[in-house]
Amino acid sequence: MYFQKKRVIAMLLAGGQGSRLKVLTEKTAKPAVPFGGKYRIIDFPLSNCVNSGIDTVGILTQYQPLELNEYIGNGQPWNLNKTHSCAQVLPPYERHDKKSGWYKGTANAIYQNIDFVDRFDPDYVVVLSGDHIYKMDYAAMVAYHEEHGASATIAVRNVPLSEASRFGILNTNPDNTIYEFEEKPAKPKSTNASMGIYCFNWKDLRNALLVDEDDPKSSNDFGKNIIPYLLNNGHKLMAYPFDGYWKDVGTISSLWEANMELLGKNPAFNLRGDERFKIYARNSAMPSSYIDEASRITNAFVAEGSSIYGTVKHSVISVGCTVGKGALVEDSVVMPGVTIEDGAIVRNAILGENSKVCKNAVVGGAFDKDEDRKISVTSKGAVVEAGSVLRPGDML
Amino acid sequence: MKAMGIIFTNDASLGDLTDKRTMASLPYGGRYRQVDFALSNLSSAGIRHIGIIARHNFQSLMNHVGDGEEWGLEMEEGGLEFLTPYSQSANHSYHGKLESLADAMDFLEYGNDDEMVIMIDSAVVSNLDLKDVLKAHVASGCDVTVVTKEGICNGSKMIDLALKVEDGKVTDIVVDYAAPAEYVASMDIFVLSKKFLIRSVKDMLARDKYHMDRDLVMGGWQHGVVSVNTYPFGGVAQFNESVQEYFEHSLDLINEDVRQDIFYGAHPVYTKVRDRVPTYYGEDCHIDNCLAADGCILEGNVKNSVLFRQVTVCAGAQVDECVIMNDTVVGEGCELKYVILDKNVTVTPGAKLIGTRNNPIIIKRGETV
Repeated sequence: MYFQKKRVIAMLLAGGQGSRLKVLTEKTAKPAVPFGGKYRIIDFPLSNCVNSGIDTVGILTQYQPLELNEYIGNGQPWNLNKTHSCAQVLPPYERHDKKSGWYKGTANAIYQNIDFVDRFDPDYVVVLSGDHIYKMDYAAMVAYHEEHGASATIAVRNVPLSEASRFGILNTNPDNTIYEFEEKPAKPKSTNASMGIYCFNWKDLRNALLVDEDDPKSSNDFGKNIIPYLLNNGHKLMAYPFDGYWKDVGTISSLWEANMELLGKNPAFNLRGDERFKIYARNSAMPSSYIDEASRITNAFVAEGSSIYGTVKHSVISVGCTVGKGALVEDSVVMPGVTIEDGAIVRNAILGENSKVCKNAVVGGAFDKDEDRKISVTSKGAVVEAGSVLRPGDML
Repeated sequence: MKAMGIIFTNDASLGDLTDKRTMASLPYGGRYRQVDFALSNLSSAGIRHIGIIARHNFQSLMNHVGDGEEWGLEMEEGGLEFLTPYSQSANHSYHGKLESLADAMDFLEYGNDDEMVIMIDSAVVSNLDLKDVLKAHVASGCDVTVVTKEGICNGSKMIDLALKVEDGKVTDIVVDYAAPAEYVASMDIFVLSKKFLIRSVKDMLARDKYHMDRDLVMGGWQHGVVSVNTYPFGGVAQFNESVQEYFEHSLDLINEDVRQDIFYGAHPVYTKVRDRVPTYYGEDCHIDNCLAADGCILEGNVKNSVLFRQVTVCAGAQVDECVIMNDTVVGEGCELKYVILDKNVTVTPGAKLIGTRNNPIIIKRGETV
């Protein structure tokens, strides 16, 4: 079989459990969690790839892959199903030399798929994670990487010093070369937080992966092992500053917040934005939404196939949802296929796919304080019985 | 029972709306083109070999349908085929469907395992189960089955093909006639065996006969050489054969019963994916009894209307009983009633356009008013 040589390919780490999303990732891998009305989280890195001219993407899956695999399918929604393009799902597998089994860490996941990468003989490999919401032109990052003759380039963003100890921090010289990497430092020396977006020379990464695999003490992780290894062995590492919108949606609170940041006349994250930088999603073949005369919708997103009879304020309503007569949905994220029956009240909540809030039930309520948001969450298919109450911060 | 499909595209003219496009590519129902309903009916019945007979203005149609991927028709063998005119015959118009089929004989004869042919027009919108129609056709033992709809004939609407059916037997057939209410109208969906169709096309053309309705169905039946079965369709069938009907039926889609039947009836309706963002409803918008597609920005007031993709309605605008196609902008403070805005129209702030229910104002594609 003939494989076209590629200058750049992407490897997308999509195997994590996302346990901080709690009930939302009980049966769904984090990258397959719905976002923004009609998307899933993985649509963002995948669309970024396509919009950056990267047409070969390996997707490393491990945790609860069924839905994610179905969603990716043959890669058609992102135009990754052509003769010389692919969205290749790469699950863990069994090997003759027993150097296999579950992916032990992010680096091990790539290590186990060296053969996949080698087929395309790439100059550069972009390593991405499947849990961030952002639009980014990876081509610009690769050009920067090439221009500086780096072995590895890591995208960084400036975070407040008070928060820096929650991140992997890259300490840099004035010319953006990295001299030190610190994972969640107690006393951060800088505010350059790693965004978990890497560009590597494949040759250098490949060697580092082989060395790392032979180290029994390694946790086979990019941040903890590969980056320090490259730094300690005289490779040039560059920081690539990125100041656009970027959000790690790894927690209930950040997932809720990122959805809310889509709203408003001048949203913090503009989904619409540049027509040439679209976010693609698998299509749901739903008709237009029906908006009843009894409804009132303000400052909200409503995706296709929904029927709105009640009041929707400052919320994201996904495809195929129903909001019944006299119901109120406020400051909430309503995932695909949710039914909110007549008279129900939903506030500060995330309603999981196909869940149901029956007549006159109440889900969530006002936050006492914004630092400690008590967001109510329903899991996939959950039913909040008629007239019952799901209190702020409770999960069902 | 393997069947192939043939879709006819130039079957009606809706003035300015079909000036630069075929009837088949006329936008309909917020996210669709007329042809999507025919294509979805066929593909949902498992039909994977479909020819589209296109004569004029088919550029927008080809652009929309592409290789048929959205309908599961991107096949190595069979799939979707555009049957456009041959260069030597491009200057004359087809006299009728049979003549256009004669031009498409290679397509018809290809693939011997298709036993049946379903012919379908794109002017009549429905969501029906063609597998059931096929089954009924085979069970009837007749040469041709016509899918019919009750309640369309009213003594004043001109009907291409109307049939009188008593006790399940056809007792009269009329063409191009304002048939009275006791007749049922053909939905322009026919099922026949491929062998019979190929033979009939050749026989008819040899006798200078070109029309499916007039010559094959009515003429054949009158002469006792073609047996005709009818399949009465119980769902919603929208005959969009005039601007007035198109407008009225577009607004009918807002009604719960019609909407449920057309969009969710026998199967989903597929269309070309555009990857628009969800529709944004602004702080002060009032949207009452509307169908809204994706990608819109709604800041004004819209009532009893159908909004297609990527429509912008600015603050203070009043839109009532309108059909507003893709990528249009309705400026601040506009007042629109009984208006059809074609694609890419810009209505400048403060403009006032008031048509009537029977005579809606049409603003042509790309215009600024």
